[in-house]
Amino acid sequence: MDMLLQFIANGLVSGAFYALSALGLTLIFGLMRVVNFAHGELYMLGGVMGWLATTVLGLNFFAGLALTLAVMGACGWLVDRFLIERVRDQGEEPSILLTIGLSIFLTNTALLLVGTAPLTIEGPLPNKPVFLGPVVLTELRVFAVAACAVLILAAHLVIRHTRLGRAMRATFQDPMAARLAGINTARVYASTFALGTMLAASAGMLLGSIYSTHVSAGGLVSLKAFVVVILGGMGSFAGAIVGGLLLGLAEALWGGYISTGTVDIIGFIIVILTLIFKPYGLFSTQVERA
Amino acid sequence: MRKQILAPIMATALLACAPALQAQDTVKIGLIQPLTGSVAYNGTADANGARLAVKQRNAAGGILGKQVELIIEDGQCSPANSVNAAEKLIQRDQVVALVGAFCSSATSAVMPVAGKYKTPFLTGVSSEASLTEKGNPYFFRSAETDALLGQAFSRLIVDNLGLKKVAYIGVNDDWGRGSAKAFEQELSSHGVETTLVEYFNHGATDFYTLLTKLRGSGADGVFVAAETQDGSTLVKQIKQFGIDMDVFGVGSWATSDFIKITGEAAEGIYAAVPYVSNLPGERNQRFVEDYSAAYDHAPGKYAAAGYNSLNIMMDAIQRAGGTDAEAIVDGLHATDYQAPNGRYRFTAKGQGYGFEAALVQIRDGHTEVVATTRIADPEANHAKDGQ
Repeated sequence: MDMLLQFIANGLVSGAFYALSALGLTLIFGLMRVVNFAHGELYMLGGVMGWLATTVLGLNFFAGLALTLAVMGACGWLVDRFLIERVRDQGEEPSILLTIGLSIFLTNTALLLVGTAPLTIEGPLPNKPVFLGPVVLTELRVFAVAACAVLILAAHLVIRHTRLGRAMRATFQDPMAARLAGINTARVYASTFALGTMLAASAGMLLGSIYSTHVSAGGLVSLKAFVVVILGGMGSFAGAIVGGLLLGLAEALWGGYISTGTVDIIGFIIVILTLIFKPYGLFSTQVERA
Repeated sequence: MRKQILAPIMATALLACAPALQAQDTVKIGLIQPLTGSVAYNGTADANGARLAVKQRNAAGGILGKQVELIIEDGQCSPANSVNAAEKLIQRDQVVALVGAFCSSATSAVMPVAGKYKTPFLTGVSSEASLTEKGNPYFFRSAETDALLGQAFSRLIVDNLGLKKVAYIGVNDDWGRGSAKAFEQELSSHGVETTLVEYFNHGATDFYTLLTKLRGSGADGVFVAAETQDGSTLVKQIKQFGIDMDVFGVGSWATSDFIKITGEAAEGIYAAVPYVSNLPGERNQRFVEDYSAAYDHAPGKYAAAGYNSLNIMMDAIQRAGGTDAEAIVDGLHATDYQAPNGRYRFTAKGQGYGFEAALVQIRDGHTEVVATTRIADPEANHAKDGQ
């Protein structure tokens, strides 16, 4: 029984982290329809930037996070204006090729700049164990789950209750009508990509302080994020949260009661089952596309 | 610096212009290591050790009266890329011998290429046991196999740590599974009970589920087979989780980088390593000084592996008296090399033995040698000549 409680706690914590890592992708892939294979690399860059800011520049965690968000937001904006814009409205294949190329470029640039060694980011709280009955957590993990909730809520509020958010929703429903209504859609696309990049980068830095990060961390993150987005439904925030938590729980229980060596298989099983039985995901906001 | 770079380029250019000049003015050795990808960090260390060995030999006059030219190619730890690198080194650069290719699966793929072109091939790292059992006469290994390491260390671990029940955790690949199995077998034969055998995937970040099982297993010690990245994350989480067990591992554990990344969670853990920079002995002291002077940090297991494998190969070519492949193979068989970590010899199958390995403990951010043991000749009927 104690084991089960610990497994569930583990699953919920890693599920919250999956939700956060997938959130940026749910914007870029789910709403903008850019199949972003460089998502994991944006996450990795967030971790590397965070390490540079805290270790090399000597900033504290929150100042480092702010700097990382600013730099990565600008990067996201530039990537959209100079790269993604060229393949917009040309179907999915060009953007797939473009983002795969981008991911290779980013990984190798980071490799040249910071090398292959794993990087540790100093967290804002100690990684000391906290005992809740039979369940073990650490202060940093509790903090990270709370931070995930805050970031998810903030992103939700931006999209639901701001002018920019309304412009985004209008643009992704019907870009032509949005343009006719006077919305600068190029700017909306770039802002969305920048927001998605900032979410990915903040996940990278937050999780880099709990685990550690390194320049080839991106691949696995992309894979899990796609699982979460497909399970939850494209472009749905609730879907990303529920999808992340389900994936975390499923992995924890599979690892706990079957074997930890085969745990990555569960993500693929979930994707296949979702595509067969609920191809639009659990919480799809996508109805029919004209 | 510029001159050092230009000299070999000019030499090669001259050579290309005058193909009629048969006598090469350098002895070329090819090295295949992963310089990019997930084990790039360790592959680069190996290449650094190799460069140092060649530099020292050239400063001392080279071999066969010529300078040695080391040509390094990136095999990325992948079988396909390593085979391409081997083909390029043999066909285009016309190396007389190959060293590499780090990962066992990559080395295994290069072996038939070396056999096809009759090129002597030495690995200083790949530990998968079956490589030396394939009957390739050109292949040699100056590294321990998982089984040899398990055999050498089980007694030490039982004696020094006094463990009764042990859990085994390994990375989910040939090496991790092989190591966990080898140690489990050896420790069981010393009466140690096995409580848990689990594997995790490369790049895994969250080990809490695994640790929940570990805590419930009632073991008093845990064996871990993992490299720097996975190993440091796992050890940190073992401490966070409040698990108080003796941790001992194989992989690149006893390095300054591992200690730096893992921080205070590394305190007290044991590592079974074929090389650590504070092994006793004057030879090692000199190697550590030279390596630190060249690269600003102490050498680890893979730097020593690169250094030793190049020295063994250069000795063999010197002994061969020429660059004929068969003569170099004979030269390798006659190896009796005094390394920083003991004395290397080869069995008839090309498996190295006779060198030292150490059980170290990390205390106050430094590795301390608890005991050393010798990797025994595997064909001497499991005779153990440990100290």
